[in-house]
Amino acid sequence: MPSFRIPTPLRPYSGGNSQVEVTGETVGSALDDLTTQYPELRQHLYDGQQLRSFVNIYLNQEDIRYVDGVNTAVETNDTLMIIPSIAGG
Amino acid sequence: MLKLTEHTLKEIQAHGSASYPHEGCGLLLGRAEYGENVAVAIFPVPNRWENEEEKSYRFLIHDQDMLQVELAAAAQDLDVIGIFHSHPDHPPDASLRDLAWAAWSGYSYLITEVRQGQPGRSRSWQLLIDRSGFKEETVEIGDFANSAS
Repeated sequence: MPSFRIPTPLRPYSGGNSQVEVTGETVGSALDDLTTQYPELRQHLYDGQQLRSFVNIYLNQEDIRYVDGVNTAVETNDTLMIIPSIAGG
Repeated sequence: MLKLTEHTLKEIQAHGSASYPHEGCGLLLGRAEYGENVAVAIFPVPNRWENEEEKSYRFLIHDQDMLQVELAAAAQDLDVIGIFHSHPDHPPDASLRDLAWAAWSGYSYLITEVRQGQPGRSRSWQLLIDRSGFKEETVEIGDFANSAS
């Protein structure tokens, strides 16, 4: 099954797990499964129906924005990573 | 609470000095343990803010750099537990810009003032769960390296 690697600050909301296996044929459905398994994650990933602006999803180290976004196909042994961009000053 | 080794703090200070007059930035690597973040290493990254003239008061950690840091941390059996950046000629207080562009609560946001190229105070902040502001957290300096292995 594909899996998400969970960033450190979100692990309290994924049962303490750093890796979560998910089902789904696309990144979007994999995210839906992740937030179904762990509903507390949703508010940290989404602002309404959209991913928060600083949240980026990588599939096998490739930014899904440069593939097919949330419609990007996911395969059995794929690794998904939730990567923030951070700014300030 | 953020726990830092003396060596890690000195690396952060040196990086801030070397980045001056720009804001320097990077990630804190270590472990999140029992509600505390224990940093045993840093991973500096380029300040990717697009406007060069604004880098003295803006920083950007690009997600592509963050990905590389996550992979490097995992290879060392460490976690990314916070972000550090410097404030050239400004106090180490979390700003409205830091708040507007913060990621998640749980990271330590360590800010170090650098006055005329010389490192000064560091203060660390935790983003509130509701994202309404920051709360300062205690910074403890000591030999915590073994607790993060």
